[in-house]
Amino acid sequence: MTPAARERLRVRVPVLCACAAAWILLVAGPGGTAAHAHHAAAIPGTILGTISGTILGAMPLALGWALMLVAMMAPLLTAPVRHVRDRSFARRRARAVALFVAGYGAIWSAAGAALLTVALAGRRSAPESSVPVALATLIALVWQFSPAKQSCLNRCHAHAELAAFAPAADLGALRFGLTHGIWCVGSCWALMLLPLLVSRGHLAAMAAVTLWILAERLERPMPPGWRWRGPGKAVRLVVAQSRLRLRART
Amino acid sequence: MSFTRSNVFELGGDWADPILWYARGVAAMQARALAEPTSWRFYGAMHGIDQQLWQLLGYLSPSDQLPSSALIQRFWKQCQHGSWYFVPWHRGYLLAFEANIRAEVVKLGGPQDWALPYWNYFKPDQSQLPPAFASPDWPDGQGNNPLFVPQRYGPSDDGDVFVPVDQINLDAMTDPDFTGVDSGGSPGFGGVDTGFEHGGRVHGALETQPHDWVHGLVGGGDPQTQLPGLMSDPDTAGLDPIFWLHHGNIDRLWEVWRENPPAHVDPTDPNWVNGPGSIGQRIFSMPMPDGTFWDYAPGDMADLGKLGYTYDDLSPVTPAPSPALRLQRLGVAPLAAQAMEGRTAMTRAKNVEMVGANREPLRITGSEVRTSVQLDQGVRRKVSASLSLAAQEGTPDRVFLNLENVRGLVDSTAFNVYVGLPEGANPADHPELLAGSIALFGARKATLADGEHGGQGLTFVLEITKIVDRLHLHNALDVNALNVRIVPVKPVPEAAQVSIGRVSIFRQGR
Repeated sequence: MTPAARERLRVRVPVLCACAAAWILLVAGPGGTAAHAHHAAAIPGTILGTISGTILGAMPLALGWALMLVAMMAPLLTAPVRHVRDRSFARRRARAVALFVAGYGAIWSAAGAALLTVALAGRRSAPESSVPVALATLIALVWQFSPAKQSCLNRCHAHAELAAFAPAADLGALRFGLTHGIWCVGSCWALMLLPLLVSRGHLAAMAAVTLWILAERLERPMPPGWRWRGPGKAVRLVVAQSRLRLRART
Repeated sequence: MSFTRSNVFELGGDWADPILWYARGVAAMQARALAEPTSWRFYGAMHGIDQQLWQLLGYLSPSDQLPSSALIQRFWKQCQHGSWYFVPWHRGYLLAFEANIRAEVVKLGGPQDWALPYWNYFKPDQSQLPPAFASPDWPDGQGNNPLFVPQRYGPSDDGDVFVPVDQINLDAMTDPDFTGVDSGGSPGFGGVDTGFEHGGRVHGALETQPHDWVHGLVGGGDPQTQLPGLMSDPDTAGLDPIFWLHHGNIDRLWEVWRENPPAHVDPTDPNWVNGPGSIGQRIFSMPMPDGTFWDYAPGDMADLGKLGYTYDDLSPVTPAPSPALRLQRLGVAPLAAQAMEGRTAMTRAKNVEMVGANREPLRITGSEVRTSVQLDQGVRRKVSASLSLAAQEGTPDRVFLNLENVRGLVDSTAFNVYVGLPEGANPADHPELLAGSIALFGARKATLADGEHGGQGLTFVLEITKIVDRLHLHNALDVNALNVRIVPVKPVPEAAQVSIGRVSIFRQGR
């Protein structure tokens, strides 16, 4: 293993562990969060529960949204978290990463409120209808082709310079989290709407969207334009790595 | 048949036969249309192309027919920079180019064993541009010499093209590892394993020096139009015939690094051996003179014997790098230092952490810019302790200066970086405090928000271990801050918009 690969693992392992934990909680379902279930009715606007009675329905809204975020977005954070960690003093690394994640989470929380409201409106206006899902799919497709989405994706690759000393270092890490969150929301919002509207196969939809956004983040930045953006590199990567491993065994 | 690449200054004359045949081969490739895969401009575009820039420089016109999109997708913009694929990709690129020129040479009745010469600017009296490239005329006085390009301006942008020998170095040859890290420590001799994720913002040691520096200073820029010289920008560099002789030397240095000493080895990681195809990226592919396409991977580039060529000079260019010499400098007895050397190699730097950084981004304008790197006293003491304990532990820290997020619009910008210069001192009087020299080859593209690097710029890493050792031995390391002075080779105009996001210092050790 190369030195750079070892450094990547130092971040990738805890990030993927957090991601896996979130998926386990989601899959385990209401039983896994039974302790929180009685709070759900007490929280105004437990939208997910109202929407669909999905696996998240029994959870308090914030917890459900947070779990969904960790499960879907954590794998995307390996590179920026590594940047924050690498470019901070060792004694400040945990604090800087926490501030980055806080900024990133704050943006996605705000976006979540908007997305959940839209999802609720969609479900209420057409209960048991597939029209909201079809409409959201159309929007996601248009956004997928758009130059605006490419601009957002490009900026997700930016590694901002970070101040080293407090308080500028704290502000810098937080600002990087906020900025990264904005571009991440910009590139993912339409896709994130889909699992919120799907009443059956909610987790499968989440898993599919997670893989999709992870795959498209592997692509290099490119000039914005109307074009199809798919998981081409990710597919090639999986095929090539599978071949390498097979060859190594034989 | 095996081919031998020879020093361009030692061929027997300014227009010795190998150079004359090279010029004829270049002329033949230049005569072909852009759309032909073995044309001169097609090969240039394989390194990089910015159509607007090519038009401004007169290398692309509206009447040019572009190749098919399939050919463009397969071949253009392949160059590997800021990656551990830097040297192997360029080796294959050179081999394919050389095969195309040789085919033309043979077609014209020239020698079948023709090989590409190289330009070793490090040799005494060989730093000037080879004369055949500086003359607009063929040796018979006729114009239209294909080796001459007007867009080659030199270090002072005045058309005097040479490599300033006091500003290039072979420090990369002493780097013990081929591959390094992008977290502030050594980027390695050959560059960083960038993994599956998009990366490429840190250049390897050989790429930084002498590669980038020679590109920037040979190319220079047009003082009237502010357009770059061909060699200064990755998107135009492959159009200059001297590009291939410069890269011949870089390729030779890779081989010298591997042979001297034998501990220097290429990566064995499957992702390097099998190349970018193994991580879902485009494979390396070159159009050959017989109309076929040659695909290759870095692992195919490892053995010059199998590739069928060698160099006339693969002798060591510097005294063999020795950790023992450093240990002796730090006060370890010679015999003990020798005994520790093996252990030092075994415990090569694993941990990288920041020692200090400056507080504000820097705008590089004019002829000098200063900043101060504030040190974290806890980490600074850790560095001092590792140097003091060199005799017991044998693994003193290595220390690196990082110029992070370097952005700019003019790739020919180049500057020297000094660390620890006393106030009022003339930098030229203190070569011992020269951390290194940076040329912004590739910075323009890395500055574009929608470019390949997402606008984050490049990060340059200079090893300052010797300077830190010296400060330690002079009891001058116990300080709160270290001065960093950036001295451009020529004044940097505001319009170049050159900036450094942060200047930082990292330690690499236990």
